[in-house]
Amino acid sequence: MSRSLLVISRQAPWSGPSAREALDIVLAGGAFDLPIGLLFLDDGVFQLAPNQAAKAVQQKDLSANLQALGLFGIDDVFACSHSLTARGLPPPAHAQALDSQAIFQLIDRYDQVITL
Amino acid sequence: MSTLHVVSHSPFTDSRLDSCLRICGTEDAILLCGDGAYGLHTPALHTKGVKVFVLAEDMQARNLPLPDWADSVDYPGFVQLSIDYDKVNTWL
Repeated sequence: MSRSLLVISRQAPWSGPSAREALDIVLAGGAFDLPIGLLFLDDGVFQLAPNQAAKAVQQKDLSANLQALGLFGIDDVFACSHSLTARGLPPPAHAQALDSQAIFQLIDRYDQVITL
Repeated sequence: MSTLHVVSHSPFTDSRLDSCLRICGTEDAILLCGDGAYGLHTPALHTKGVKVFVLAEDMQARNLPLPDWADSVDYPGFVQLSIDYDKVNTWL
């Protein structure tokens, strides 16, 4: 049995490669059937904002990757409700919102965790 | 399960330590290193009840006083902590 991994993504989408790389790690893990979860925290929740136009800043759209999570068998996708509320974002379509206590329990459930 | 949170960014320019405090449990600990050592100036750190460690050399380099609610560790101590806790969450 593989050890489970939770990836915490806390960078806004267009500020650098971190957001895309966190998603790539999760998708790669899913492709190999690893037990893997993804949590959007802090500015990471901006990745979930609807109707973004990545092309305007010559970047590739992340929303296709987000939608691919389900196809890769990754159902454990979460977002911090505190971070969403603080940034005025609506409940995300591709992630389940969790409060701080639920996030603590989530981290507890995984064998390994990395915050990018 | 307990987690050792490793924070290396100053809490005065960055929200890592804030978020870490928000989601960490009472069995968890925080290790401050690099500019994270400036977190010793954050009184909110010890009100949460989590254990706080600081890497001695980073504290000394910045001439930070060690509060009675924190413990300093050297690199072997850092390694020991990462063994003692079930997992390590490095806030990169």
